[in-house]
Amino acid sequence: MIHVQNLKKEFKKTVKEPGLKGSIKSFFKPKNEIITAVDDISFDVSAGEILGFIGPNGAGKSTVIKMLTGILTPTSGSCEINGKIPYKNRKSYVKEIGVVFGQRTQLWWDLALRETYTVLKEIYEVDDESFKKRMAFLNEVLELESFITSPVRTLSLGQRMRADIAASLLHSPKVLFLDEPTIGLDVVVKDNIRQAIKSINENEKTTVILTTHDLQDVENLCDRIVMIDKGKKVFDGGIDLLKQSYGQSRELRFVPVAVSDADKLNYGREFSLGESDLRVENDGHTVSVRFNNDKVSVEKILSYTLKTLHVKDISVTDADIEEIIKGIYKSGVSPDA
Amino acid sequence: MKFFKKIHRIFKLHRIFIKQDLKKLMEYKIDFLTGAAGMLLTQAFNLFFLSIIFSQIPDLKGWKFEEILFIYGFALLPKAIDHLFFDNLWAIGYFIIRKGDFDKYLTRPVSPLFAVTVEKFQVDAFGELVVGIALLCVSIPRLKLDFSPLNIALFIAAVFFATFIYTGVKLITSSIAFWTKRSGNIIYMFYMVNDFARYPTTIYNRFIRSVITFIIPFAFTAFYPASYFIRGGNALINVGGTVIAAAVLTAIGMLVWHRGVCAYESAGS
Repeated sequence: MIHVQNLKKEFKKTVKEPGLKGSIKSFFKPKNEIITAVDDISFDVSAGEILGFIGPNGAGKSTVIKMLTGILTPTSGSCEINGKIPYKNRKSYVKEIGVVFGQRTQLWWDLALRETYTVLKEIYEVDDESFKKRMAFLNEVLELESFITSPVRTLSLGQRMRADIAASLLHSPKVLFLDEPTIGLDVVVKDNIRQAIKSINENEKTTVILTTHDLQDVENLCDRIVMIDKGKKVFDGGIDLLKQSYGQSRELRFVPVAVSDADKLNYGREFSLGESDLRVENDGHTVSVRFNNDKVSVEKILSYTLKTLHVKDISVTDADIEEIIKGIYKSGVSPDA
Repeated sequence: MKFFKKIHRIFKLHRIFIKQDLKKLMEYKIDFLTGAAGMLLTQAFNLFFLSIIFSQIPDLKGWKFEEILFIYGFALLPKAIDHLFFDNLWAIGYFIIRKGDFDKYLTRPVSPLFAVTVEKFQVDAFGELVVGIALLCVSIPRLKLDFSPLNIALFIAAVFFATFIYTGVKLITSSIAFWTKRSGNIIYMFYMVNDFARYPTTIYNRFIRSVITFIIPFAFTAFYPASYFIRGGNALINVGGTVIAAAVLTAIGMLVWHRGVCAYESAGS
């Protein structure tokens, strides 16, 4: 379905010294530097798969997506989707894909949402019959009903994202590219969008490639993930493998009323956790405890903490993706594991 | 057959977007009315000054007031048509590329150039169109011009091709933004040369004359074809020149554009 081989993208960047003086200097004597945004990435995706594409900000995720969707021309290497080369067979290729960039909209800002779909219908040459059916289906999964007559500029972020996803699916694409489809959304809308992606993938066998910073997205949706960092692939494999490596890690953060109280805590002894399952840091104000959720439950950790000392503030979070990447580096999972 | 289907599709999409644009006007009435009034006022002031000049002098290097009016009116037609259909090229130069908004045009199954230009139907252009037609209506009877069927055909051809001189210049200059990220001021600089074209080229020195004839050939959008209709002459040079200039500029424009699309770098997100 999707075949990516040694994909590489370089950008030329003008290096400027700080300040206006630097800008003026670079205007007359530009100093260029080659930045490699995507460095020799290869992977395959089979039909009907949901692939999570993750990595820290600036890792090159969007650049890869842009090359796969025909927006950017690769510097070297190749990508082939459905036997087509995106930037060469662009016009016929894009009929088979749907694209959503969470940070941008492809809807027409001034039009009522409904009009946007009638315009897209003509652009993608969808016939009346299929259009009707399609709109009914999209209405059902994405719940567009309540705002379909509103101008796009008045939509909330959650509504806009649903509208954008619907727009990308109007022509029943075989492959759907979602670049951060859940960015900035509340929990309810996130869930709604995940359900929609899932049901489209199940009903129509649509191949989905999505980038995200939300581990929940990955856990709920993806069969497999590809992780990149600094333009290079650092992990490619099933979600289970990732979970084993670090996915179960949680972080407890709290601000003790008296900092000295923190010394009373000894998680290692209490729960008999080894060094690989526990890390405690105390910066004199906030204490952070990272622990393996498989070995000890959040509830136990919390109740032990609250029993031992008084806190001003407390929270439990998933370890973020950057931490996981660091973890993968450390644990030495090979890129092609 | 395929060609006609393509033309049919282009018209259909234009119709849909024009409809949407008119709806937009209803949404932002005040903005539209101000824009149209502004265009009319600009032209009115230009004409006002022209009439002041001619109240002091009987002719301009042998060109009478009515003749100047005809050239001026003729010049506005291709300008207005380009303005009406290809106005979004300005946005390419100013922000579409710089902000990475060009991405979305590349993910649609139509040519990106068409996708960009079809999106805006610049109704402000009707101001220029109305003034242009009015000037022709006033000057033609005064000059007692006789339009034979051949001349009518040549007139339509001249306006059509002259439009693509404007579009070609805008296409080349806006495409520069694919490399420089922003070329709005470059478009402006070249586009404004068209101001010279409304007057007989004979009033300029040799440098300006050769610039607007050979380099940025705006003289072929107005003076050369218009003077053929007023005083006769060689249609092959006056109108044929317009066709050649339009063809060359559009071809270069398409080439630069396509190169630009390949060099497009998007923007971070």
